[in-house]
Amino acid sequence: MSILSIRNLKVDYATQDGTVQAVDGVSLDVAEGQHLGLIGESGCGKTTLLKAIVQVLPRNGRIVGGEIIFKGADLLKMSRAEMRQLRWREIATIPQASMDSLNPVQRVGKQLTKLLRVRGGYDKRSAKRRAVDLFDLVGLDSERLSHYPHEFSGGMKQRAVIAMALALEPSLLIADEPVTALDVIVQHQILEVLRRLEEELNLTVMLITHDISVVAQVCDSVAVMYAGRIVEQAAAEPFFASPAHPYSLGLQQAFPNLARPRDELVSIEGYPPDLREPPTGCRFAERCPFVQDACHSDDPQLQQVGVGRYAACLRSGEMDALRQQAEDPALWQRVEVAQNSPPTLNPSPKMREGLFLPPVEEPASHAPLASSCRKELGDEGEKPLLELRDVSKRFKVGGGLAGLLRGDKEQTVYAVNNISFRLRRGESLGLAGESGCGKSTTGKLLVKLLDASDGEIDFDGQDLMTMDGENLLGFRRRAQLMFQNPFEALNPRFTLYRSLTEPLIIHGWTDDDERLERVVETLDRVNLRPAEVFLDKYPHQLSGGQLQRVVLARALVLQPDFLVADEPVSMLDVSVRAGILNTTRRLASELGLATVYISHDLSLLQYTCDRIAIMYLGEIVEIGPSQQIISNPQHPYTQALIAAVPVPDPTIENPPLRIREGVPRPTEQFIGCPFSQRCPEAMQACLDIRPPQVRDEDGRITLCHLYGEHSASPKLTSDTPIQVG
Amino acid sequence: MSRGIASYIAGRFLQSVMVLWVIVTLLFLLFRLAPSNPMASYIDTEFTKEQEQALLARFGLDRPLHEQYVIYLINLLKLDLGDTFHYAGTTVIDVLRADLPNTLYLTLTSLLLAYSVGVLGGIAYAALRGSRIERVGTTFTLMTRAAPQFWVGMLLLTLFAFHWKLLPSSGIGPAVVRYRWDTEWDKLLSPVFWRHMILPTFTLAIYLHGLPLLLMRSNMLEVLDQDFIVMGRLAGYSERRLMIQYAARNAVLPVLTALTLGIGYSIGGNVVIETVFAWPGLGRTLVRAVQSADYPLAQGAFFLIALIIVVMNFIADILYSLLDPRVGASAQAQVS
Amino acid sequence: MQQEAMVRGELRGKEKVQFRQGSALRQLWEANLEVFQRDKLALLGLFIFVFFTLVAVFAPVIAPNDPLTPQKNANGDWIKDAEPFWMAEPGEDEAEGYVNNFLLGTTNIGRDIFSQLVYGSRAALLVGFSAAIAVAVIGTVVGLLAGYYGGRIDTLLMRAADVAFGIPFIPFIIVISAFFDPSIWNVVLAMAALLWRDSSRVIRSQVLVIKEQSFVSAAKVSGASELRIIFVYIAPSILPLSFLYGTLAIAWAILTEASVSFLGFSDPETISWGYMLQDAFNSLALSREAYYWIVPPGLCIMLTVMAGFFIGRGYEEVLFPRLRRM
Repeated sequence: MSILSIRNLKVDYATQDGTVQAVDGVSLDVAEGQHLGLIGESGCGKTTLLKAIVQVLPRNGRIVGGEIIFKGADLLKMSRAEMRQLRWREIATIPQASMDSLNPVQRVGKQLTKLLRVRGGYDKRSAKRRAVDLFDLVGLDSERLSHYPHEFSGGMKQRAVIAMALALEPSLLIADEPVTALDVIVQHQILEVLRRLEEELNLTVMLITHDISVVAQVCDSVAVMYAGRIVEQAAAEPFFASPAHPYSLGLQQAFPNLARPRDELVSIEGYPPDLREPPTGCRFAERCPFVQDACHSDDPQLQQVGVGRYAACLRSGEMDALRQQAEDPALWQRVEVAQNSPPTLNPSPKMREGLFLPPVEEPASHAPLASSCRKELGDEGEKPLLELRDVSKRFKVGGGLAGLLRGDKEQTVYAVNNISFRLRRGESLGLAGESGCGKSTTGKLLVKLLDASDGEIDFDGQDLMTMDGENLLGFRRRAQLMFQNPFEALNPRFTLYRSLTEPLIIHGWTDDDERLERVVETLDRVNLRPAEVFLDKYPHQLSGGQLQRVVLARALVLQPDFLVADEPVSMLDVSVRAGILNTTRRLASELGLATVYISHDLSLLQYTCDRIAIMYLGEIVEIGPSQQIISNPQHPYTQALIAAVPVPDPTIENPPLRIREGVPRPTEQFIGCPFSQRCPEAMQACLDIRPPQVRDEDGRITLCHLYGEHSASPKLTSDTPIQVG
Repeated sequence: MSRGIASYIAGRFLQSVMVLWVIVTLLFLLFRLAPSNPMASYIDTEFTKEQEQALLARFGLDRPLHEQYVIYLINLLKLDLGDTFHYAGTTVIDVLRADLPNTLYLTLTSLLLAYSVGVLGGIAYAALRGSRIERVGTTFTLMTRAAPQFWVGMLLLTLFAFHWKLLPSSGIGPAVVRYRWDTEWDKLLSPVFWRHMILPTFTLAIYLHGLPLLLMRSNMLEVLDQDFIVMGRLAGYSERRLMIQYAARNAVLPVLTALTLGIGYSIGGNVVIETVFAWPGLGRTLVRAVQSADYPLAQGAFFLIALIIVVMNFIADILYSLLDPRVGASAQAQVS
Repeated sequence: MQQEAMVRGELRGKEKVQFRQGSALRQLWEANLEVFQRDKLALLGLFIFVFFTLVAVFAPVIAPNDPLTPQKNANGDWIKDAEPFWMAEPGEDEAEGYVNNFLLGTTNIGRDIFSQLVYGSRAALLVGFSAAIAVAVIGTVVGLLAGYYGGRIDTLLMRAADVAFGIPFIPFIIVISAFFDPSIWNVVLAMAALLWRDSSRVIRSQVLVIKEQSFVSAAKVSGASELRIIFVYIAPSILPLSFLYGTLAIAWAILTEASVSFLGFSDPETISWGYMLQDAFNSLALSREAYYWIVPPGLCIMLTVMAGFFIGRGYEEVLFPRLRRM
């Protein structure tokens, strides 16, 4: 019996440039007790669908057709007052960016009790009791009720919002991206809360996300949305075992998977169609590697392809065969082209030959990667390109005359503490850790955007600290940085040509033609072709994926030796992430670039890096070859981080974590191990003796007492249940 | 938390004292280093050298500049602003003490009126956004901010005092009535006083209402756009509740700060209105003192106005940190 | 975002492109153009400024009489308090021995009000524009320095702004005008000395935001010098803000000049609208209900000030799109 049944729903947005058909004929059933995951990339209409269900569309949005039947009644025929009564009592919604969904100037408990009293008819006393219960339910300390939202961490805010959503015992809970932008351990804990609640309260849940591994972890069925349509719906296990739509296939292959590492990820190149004028045929045809002529003319409808399985593809009959082919990333590869240019043909190498097209470079061969992998870590034979010795970075906050006058007490933030590592030419190193662990600060130290407070950083034998004048300019040519947010990384007032040519001007390239030649060559390298088309564009005219390629091009235009990539794809849609990573990895190996990747995403680092360093509160707690770190982590923190990564496979359930979420503020220096506060294995020695650097035969270094002389130290037992706050 | 706020207040207080000190110093320099002789208007050409010296000595003007400065600071701390040049035997403090209440009555009444209208109007305009009423209304409000206050005062005077003869044109009451006001209370309880206050109050309020109105409106629109409002809507709160209890309550905080600041700045700006309506307040006294080169009085009035502004700026800062729990924590949030 | 990028990203591979343009000046010009294209009221404001500028430039041509000289009748007496010809009773002028061609009548000492009004635009615009330039320049420089360099420079400059915020505005200008020669330039100077406080604070906070954006870090990583970062990367982004505060300063300056003149602290040789109103006020024009004398100067002040507000709002809408279409 379905609790929510959407029939042929259509939602339009009126914009200055025409009507965008954001949701175009969506039919979807959610059964009572079901946990449905709705997957799709940004702009596919998934959030619009949610807003249409509870009817909070923005002013320019309009439902133009269809039905939304909830418990037998059509929501679209209800009066506004009836609809309002229904919200939260029957359908509770956790909106996107729910971190900002709490009123900043009201105590959280007050907001919760007010909701209970106004909407739930509770009296003052019972509302208070219920609030305490709800906080308990989501694992928050009830003392936190009297706190303001800004005193909460991200995960705690998310828990509070979940508590609010459950306050009136709704029969349907819709959560929009509930764990996006949270650290992986927090994410894991929130997912666990959701999973537990699903069981305890027998909730019906609709979870909207771009992340298929989240769906794999908490949902029992899946719907995939693309360009305003549902393209596939199935139970979770068969969906993950054998997707029935090429888009789902691509999504699945695009995700790095810790459990099943791949040599090359699939990138679904291209962009969703313009929804002001949707194509007549299949909406995915432009990006589909299995496209046939018919796909451009016939619009495939969602039809049954198995027991409880639906897909909208003309070739769904041949899916078993196509699945085999889809494993090959080369099949999906395409050259990045200007938008709205004629669709590129199926780019398989064979066809290219037939059409006399120049061959696309084969995807990375990884020769340097493989070889450096085998090298012993402490190999003294080769001079490293970069060497850090006991580097620390401290910030003073709230000090100075202004702070004194303002009454802020001066605090020292220990962002980076005594880290040391080496990087060889052509080698790639990943820095991983939760937000606030100092990985981005380290990145800035490496390119001298910041100066270290202590220690030495040598770049090709020169000390970064004392570098200036010509030396510094020389270093600036050789070391580059790639930024997280491509929408901010380029000057919005510069054309791409101007942005790309700036570094050349700074480094004394005076000849216009030479500069142009280099810029075009670099754009070509990062697969933005034809390069000339992009030169005159402004950043806002490109998509995120294209922009990130431009950012990469700017980093490479001076042909550096060393590149720091700070969360290079975290702002991008899953379908284009792989493309950027593949290009970066290929160019790094082609140009012999030493690369440092900074990311919270271990599966990404496993995919791109020879070695991985795990950071916690400014220290590197474990560093070693990627494969060893991922498959056999030694440090309890690394173990927790890896255990927390959701696996895109519903048959593998993440183990429960034994550590609390939330990194403490790095404002104190630890005598012992910084992780001891959260460590499930903490021993007496961890509190007051600095952990030793333990080196194993793989060249891995672990900073932990478990493997040192104090391994027999008495264990600190704390079997109190984990509660946040 | 409360300790944080306490030290914040202490810090701000210190800062305000320093600002005041710099202003006081500038004031001293301005009046001592002015190109025209401060005694020019006071010293008669018939005076003998000795008489002149005696006068200079009386006002302490015969000493070296740095000594004068120290004396000036000490006197300020003792709230001794000296004697006026022109009202023989009256101290500056006496004159200002008589003026200040009148200025405060006028300013506070107009501000109260202006901010009540402004806040309600701002909410209404935000609710009516994009409508014709809102467009015409905001344009009218802009007009009231663009029209010179004294001109609006002149127009109102012409209409209400001279054309229709409904209201008095100047002052706070005829001398015969004023004679009977022994205390401030007598004045405040007198209908004559209030009748005199109507025109200047409205003139001032017409000008002042624009700021809270436009501020409230844009704050409302900004708050209404925030995620927690969307959340409230999703939670099934009625639009009216969202508008009043959520949006307006959050949006009014900056307006309250503006009101506090407004007290200081309007007292400074009342100079013009008080002149138009011959209102015996600080501003008019300042103008007349400057015109007649009564430097101690001008300096004293200027100092008093600056003092009020600095104090109000200080209170506004404190108020803001108390009303918005995030301010105290902003320093913490800077660390990433 | 992506949707928008898609909408705008329409181009064909064959399209001929001109890519070596994009000088900062041209972009600035285009950004300014956008303000007036987007906002009708801003355009109206611009027209008002242009209109009054023309009036100011061609004042001797437009004004029928000298604004300071009393007009005389056939007997050589001053034509006092003549009503505008369209209000006056017909024949009155002949009886008094003159021809009434005064569009707005005469003052109590026989000066031509309309001519005064025309010449008054000079003072208003002169004060308005020079104060605007001063405020925009000082505010921008202070904001840039404080925001970019931070530290001691920032503390020093912002404390100076605090002091400026503590000084009462009109009293300060009165005192300055009274102590020094009563001249328009002293009024401008006094205003410039205080009005930078608002713009510098806002520009500083904007610089703090831009400074942290990664395209600025990218420039640093590429080896750009500090001056290059300030002038090529940061300054162009905050110039619209400088324009915004410049236009608002025009409005405040005109209003303030009017107030100061009204209080009698202006140069009596320079006719300004505020001076005219003071003249009217002191000559008891109010009790005579001489609207022709009271209303026009005030209207002119209001119009020019509103023009400043309108243009300012136009900039605001481009700068802070959140406020748009409200």
